[in-house]
Amino acid sequence: MNPEFVLGLFLILAGTVSVAFPRRKDYITRLINLEIPAWGLLLLMLSYNEALALLTFGAVTALTVYIFVRVIQKREGDA
Amino acid sequence: MEVITTQEIAILVCAAIGVISAVRVIAERNTMKKLPFLNVLSFAIAGSLALLLPDPLTILAAAAYFVGTTLESNAIASSYAGGPKNDE
Amino acid sequence: MNELLLGAFGALLVLGAGATILEHDPYKKIISLSVLIGGAIPFIVDRGLLDVATAVALIAPLSTIFILMAVRRAAP
Repeated sequence: MNPEFVLGLFLILAGTVSVAFPRRKDYITRLINLEIPAWGLLLLMLSYNEALALLTFGAVTALTVYIFVRVIQKREGDA
Repeated sequence: MEVITTQEIAILVCAAIGVISAVRVIAERNTMKKLPFLNVLSFAIAGSLALLLPDPLTILAAAAYFVGTTLESNAIASSYAGGPKNDE
Repeated sequence: MNELLLGAFGALLVLGAGATILEHDPYKKIISLSVLIGGAIPFIVDRGLLDVATAVALIAPLSTIFILMAVRRAAP
């Protein structure tokens, strides 16, 4: 139980609850809150010393955020 | 009472500045007044990254963090200042 | 890393996460998210994974700028 494990677990729990039940029911609020479990998962991978997993996860997270932004813009443009 | 060396004093001062500026960032209500404290926080974190390990490659990580967070802060400031003006 | 530094960066993480959850304005949420990132990077450097720390410190602002593209369209 090193401190990265505990802090990552706390970030994953708090971030998941805040994504599922946000204060404002909005796409952007959920998208910004989705960054918190991503950093929690990154700290959790860090506590097991997985360097390649960290690199791949960091790159794929930015790509996922870009795709979500495109989807949100298309959805808001239709409405 | 263990002995604290000079390098540990420097990194503790950097971390204390980071925590104080984080509290001030969160306690400030105006969005434009949050950004200078955010810059203070990123300078403190960059300094503490450079002092954390005795490794010559650490300065590269600190420089990358410095460049990245300055770019991010500039993007937030310019988007907040000129964002609504672009739509009309 | 001794206990004082661990407490300081852990406090940065917890403060950034709480402020990101509790704010209403999207710009204030992004600024608080930057506080969280500043608390998370020193843990990566402390493990000795310096290449990972460099890559993550360069990729994380890119992700924030992508979010900012959606905020600028929707917020005003």
